[in-house]
Amino acid sequence: MNFNRRQTLGMIGAGSLVAAAPARLAFAQGGGNTDNRLVVVFLRGAMDGLAAVPALGDPNFETAREGIALAPVGQENGALPLDGFFGLHHWLPEFHAAWGRKEMAVVHAVASSYRERSHFDAQNLIENGSTEPYGLASGWLNRAIVDLPIAGDKGVAITPSVPVIMQGPTRVSSWSPSSLPPPSDDLVARAGFLYRDNEQLHEYFESAKAANTGMGNGSDASGFAALMAGAARFLREPEGPRIAFTESGGWDTHAGQSAFNGPLWQAMTALNEGLATFRAEIGDEVWSKTAIVFVTEFGRTVAMNGSNGTDHGTAGAAFVLGGAVDGGKMHADWPGLRSADLYEGRDLRPTLDMRAIFKGVLRDHLGIPTSHIESQVFTDSSSVRPLEGLIRS
Amino acid sequence: MSMMTAAIAANRFGLGAKPGDLASIKSDPQGWLLAQLDGAQADPAPIAALPSTADDFQAFGRWAIQYAAQSADRNVPPFVLNRLRRQVPAVLKDKNGAQLGAEESVYATFKDRYRTAVRARFDAAVQSETPFRERLVHFWSNHFVVSSKKISAFPMPPSYERDVARSHVTGRFLDMLMASSKHPAMLHYLDNSYSVGPNSRWGKNPSEAPTLPVIGRMEGLNENLAREILELHTVGVNGGYSQTDVRNFAKVITGWMVKRGRSVFANRGLRGQSAAELFEFNPNAHEPGPQTVMGKVYAQDGVEQGEAVLLDLSRHPKTAEFIATKLVRYFIGDDPPPAAVKRVADAFLASDGDLKATATALVRSPEAWEEPLAKVKQPEEYLISGVRALGGPDISGEELEQVLSQMGQPTYMQPGPDGWHDVAAEWIGPDPIWKRLEWANDASIETAQTELAPTRLGELVLGPVLSEPTKRVLEGSASPAQGFALLLVSPEFLRR
Repeated sequence: MNFNRRQTLGMIGAGSLVAAAPARLAFAQGGGNTDNRLVVVFLRGAMDGLAAVPALGDPNFETAREGIALAPVGQENGALPLDGFFGLHHWLPEFHAAWGRKEMAVVHAVASSYRERSHFDAQNLIENGSTEPYGLASGWLNRAIVDLPIAGDKGVAITPSVPVIMQGPTRVSSWSPSSLPPPSDDLVARAGFLYRDNEQLHEYFESAKAANTGMGNGSDASGFAALMAGAARFLREPEGPRIAFTESGGWDTHAGQSAFNGPLWQAMTALNEGLATFRAEIGDEVWSKTAIVFVTEFGRTVAMNGSNGTDHGTAGAAFVLGGAVDGGKMHADWPGLRSADLYEGRDLRPTLDMRAIFKGVLRDHLGIPTSHIESQVFTDSSSVRPLEGLIRS
Repeated sequence: MSMMTAAIAANRFGLGAKPGDLASIKSDPQGWLLAQLDGAQADPAPIAALPSTADDFQAFGRWAIQYAAQSADRNVPPFVLNRLRRQVPAVLKDKNGAQLGAEESVYATFKDRYRTAVRARFDAAVQSETPFRERLVHFWSNHFVVSSKKISAFPMPPSYERDVARSHVTGRFLDMLMASSKHPAMLHYLDNSYSVGPNSRWGKNPSEAPTLPVIGRMEGLNENLAREILELHTVGVNGGYSQTDVRNFAKVITGWMVKRGRSVFANRGLRGQSAAELFEFNPNAHEPGPQTVMGKVYAQDGVEQGEAVLLDLSRHPKTAEFIATKLVRYFIGDDPPPAAVKRVADAFLASDGDLKATATALVRSPEAWEEPLAKVKQPEEYLISGVRALGGPDISGEELEQVLSQMGQPTYMQPGPDGWHDVAAEWIGPDPIWKRLEWANDASIETAQTELAPTRLGELVLGPVLSEPTKRVLEGSASPAQGFALLLVSPEFLRR
């Protein structure tokens, strides 16, 4: 890939969207760390945090999770060990290997400020970075990186349309796998002439051309792995974007979630394969500068429902993973699993605001000043302290 | 009238010019648009061939019973299951024999039905001789969204679209609102069919309430439909209602549900019934007593209470403003000019929500004719206009599903009840441009269009909107197919 350095800061959004974002204020920025890489992966559909990261040491775990509790470490199909109290689902061996290399931190009992049960509203709230669904029309990740001194596209959305989290004032690229045959080089060159007089289309097209040069149609990987492979190929370029966003689906496990080949197996297997693909594609050097944040819109009910699945809940788990991560650590103020401990008698009670993870990573990994984070990125978050110790110092 | 006006009429208001269209409409482009609003129109052939509303609904019920029986959620006698399997063979397991989740099972069971409907909607648009009317159907379908993203509504959006948007596209807004709010697809999509008034008979005696396969026992008030009628269908999020209004309105429409057969989901005896006949007001779930919604007390009994609220909402000035703003954004520009919004809203109010009069005001708005390329085409309309221009290719439902998914707009799969968003930021960017180039390339190669030179085709479908620089690029193309691909990705063709 050959990314052209373009000094102009284009605006990706339509006027209406950009105007709805908070006015961009001047702030003292030290440039941030422009060599580090950040990937945000949204697990859409609500990952069951107690399935992914079971609290095996909680005396009430087995009864509260009757029917779907993962077996203890050491038993057949049992959990993989983390810190003695928590385990990891055995369908996530790549994540476990990262834990072993001290490259994965696990955050538990975490939730956004959303307390209803709509996937769509919850995702929108997390993406826009306010405390309301549709509270802002642009995304926190886009606003966070607006002043990173990177020429060209600062970020890339590995999605067919730019999701809310990546919309806003910062110029970002987008790419997603395609099943259509690639256009010939000659057609691409001629299409470029069509956009010469149109600044916006020219920028988009040059960005797409760079993104697709040498990409073929991604790789042999399919599904989520193809997305992660795409993210890696962008981020490993010395002059490419530094921030990538992508997403994985299939986490809404209302039925049959423990079954081998069932929905959770499919989602976790894809996630695991995606991580392995990313790690292989990005190479050792850039991996050492990378942090990947895996988040989901909310957790799921503690107890099994009538169809061997779980329903929409509240708190859940998140992963922060990569060569730059200060890993092998759990971050959890565990609320317990007795009925009285549960939120509304059914869900894991949140003890940490998800924005604490994002704020910690933005500050410690990308060097973005807290003043910018609290005035532009997460505007109502001064009471949410950045989570300490996620990134290697 | 100028060719520029004809080009705007065919591409902005219509679904894209076919070769010859501009010449035939140029004497009176506005008249050509307005004539399309006259009278009732038979359903386009591909739409008429789709399953009935009752069939879509029953099919889902037959799947639900088979699925529930498998998950041991419900005991169903084997002879009933066998009959259901003959009618709708539910796909319950994957190729490895593992039980599928509900979403995967619904998708696997109904994907052929889905693809047929996606193809029908596309073909109707490509073939339409009244493309302004057809575009309005798409607009209203996306306003009163029912999306296949919700499994309990999966097979229903196509017949719902026909019953609600298509049937009332030039009728009264109130009738469309009423048809939507009582439609089995909407009652499932926004959960009203499972909503129970706290002081209703079933609210007080929960054990009497039916238990539904997959969904479970009906209990409690569900605010979903009431909220979305206010927020998304009528007065809009700034319409001046409170959470209490939402709750009270939800109570008003408790008991609005889908008619049940003797066996809850088998729906025996529903065959051939229209959407209106599938609606049932069930007093057992209805919250008794008067309710106050947006400052007015509604003391009516039964279904009339909700109908009275819908009538008032349909006449509310905020509704006129909300609808007008959306229409103007869709037809004139991402930042709706206030004068045009006011003109359209006034027409809506003055005509008591006559959608023909409202659409006429839109066509008569001078702002609509000023800037020929104000709107970025969304993926589906981009493909429709491309096939109309090229005269091909023939795209299967499966290919449409794949291409539109990869472009981020799978038909009938809006992510949420707010529908596809209608601003450029959603639809233009590096990946969208690239995907359009890939598709244009593929479509041009498949469509052996050799009678016209690319520049000539460009002039025929874009008229004077086709720029000189684009013409020069087309003239220099290496082959006709390449030229057609370049036409389809030209800045003038990406917009309308």
